[in-house]
Amino acid sequence: MRPILLQGHTRSLTQIKYNREGDLLFSVSKDQVVNVWYSHNGERLGTYNGHVGAIWTVDVNSTSTLLLTGSADNTAKLWEVQTGKCLHTWEFKTAIKRVAFSEDDAMALAVTEQRMGYPGTVVILSIKNDIETEQSDEPINIIYPKGSKAMAAEWGYLNKYIITGHEDGSVAQYDWKTGDQIKSVKAHNAEITDLQMSEDRTYFITASKDKSAQIFESNTLNHLKKYMTDAPLNSAAITPIQDFVILGGGQDAMQVTTTTMRQGKFECRFYHKILEDVEVGRVKGHFGPINTIAVHPDGKSFSSGGEDGYVRVHHFDEDYFRFKYPELH
Amino acid sequence: DDDWVKLKLSKGQFEHRRRLMEEWNAWRKRVEKELAEERENAGIVSPSSRRDDDTIEVIE
Repeated sequence: MRPILLQGHTRSLTQIKYNREGDLLFSVSKDQVVNVWYSHNGERLGTYNGHVGAIWTVDVNSTSTLLLTGSADNTAKLWEVQTGKCLHTWEFKTAIKRVAFSEDDAMALAVTEQRMGYPGTVVILSIKNDIETEQSDEPINIIYPKGSKAMAAEWGYLNKYIITGHEDGSVAQYDWKTGDQIKSVKAHNAEITDLQMSEDRTYFITASKDKSAQIFESNTLNHLKKYMTDAPLNSAAITPIQDFVILGGGQDAMQVTTTTMRQGKFECRFYHKILEDVEVGRVKGHFGPINTIAVHPDGKSFSSGGEDGYVRVHHFDEDYFRFKYPELH
Repeated sequence: DDDWVKLKLSKGQFEHRRRLMEEWNAWRKRVEKELAEERENAGIVSPSSRRDDDTIEVIE
């Protein structure tokens, strides 16, 4: 497994995302730049310029025509993927920490940061996928999560609800039409840093600073799986083909010895999704904590974005695909 | 230098793991059936089945 190193950011990565086909990889960073890369060879296709603050989040619609980004400049921006043109800017009172298109691309959610005088919210935006049509500034709804602020959020299948992951470690289900909380569970003992859906959105994985990742059933929020590690986690992803999950994180730079920093010892850790306590492999390389992990939709490669400012694209080798538990099949 | 672990299991561990696999597979079967019904009722095709699968080879 020889990684491809993507060098196009000067500060830490905050989120990376593949498009549905997996040929494109989008990356955003504190350096205010959005990059798009060919995922198979790491060649940079272009950049999307316009944000004037750290960019926290990115998502692309299912037809790969529209890109949505959220920034510390208190805006969310919609871009035409092909041309890099900014099609619309939504202005908010605080930073945008997470964006996500709905399954049908007709809506997007934007998680706004909580700051003095402003509660954290989840704003539901209407998205017109025809690039010639003007977007509406008026949100469909604004959700005010109860208690702890939302850190990450995703849509349920068929837009049934949205799922939110919170600073206090709880996971909740919200009715985006009414803004009401449907369900909530105390999932983690510390802040939730990532929340990624399975391909069919029937379950999802959460990553937390409490050093664990967990899988929940979307409809019921029933707890299904838990993966324990020895470091705070920033990201967790589910792999197709193999029943694995990939976890990434690490102690913050301040707590890390310079030796560790130099050696590129920060690892993406692979656990068996169903067997929970079985760690099946590690992929080293980053020189600082891993902030974001994304898996190619075909399950043959994955990428990680680090505090070190690099994106590493890993294509799995044959051993990875051969790996199985013969006694269980 | 990727180290994919090889496992030697006791009988107890083996039974435990097989149970976990069976439980998961049974749950998937149920959930996938419910999802298919809900999608059909909503008249919406699964986004994953929309994707062009020609380039994806099956790995045994």
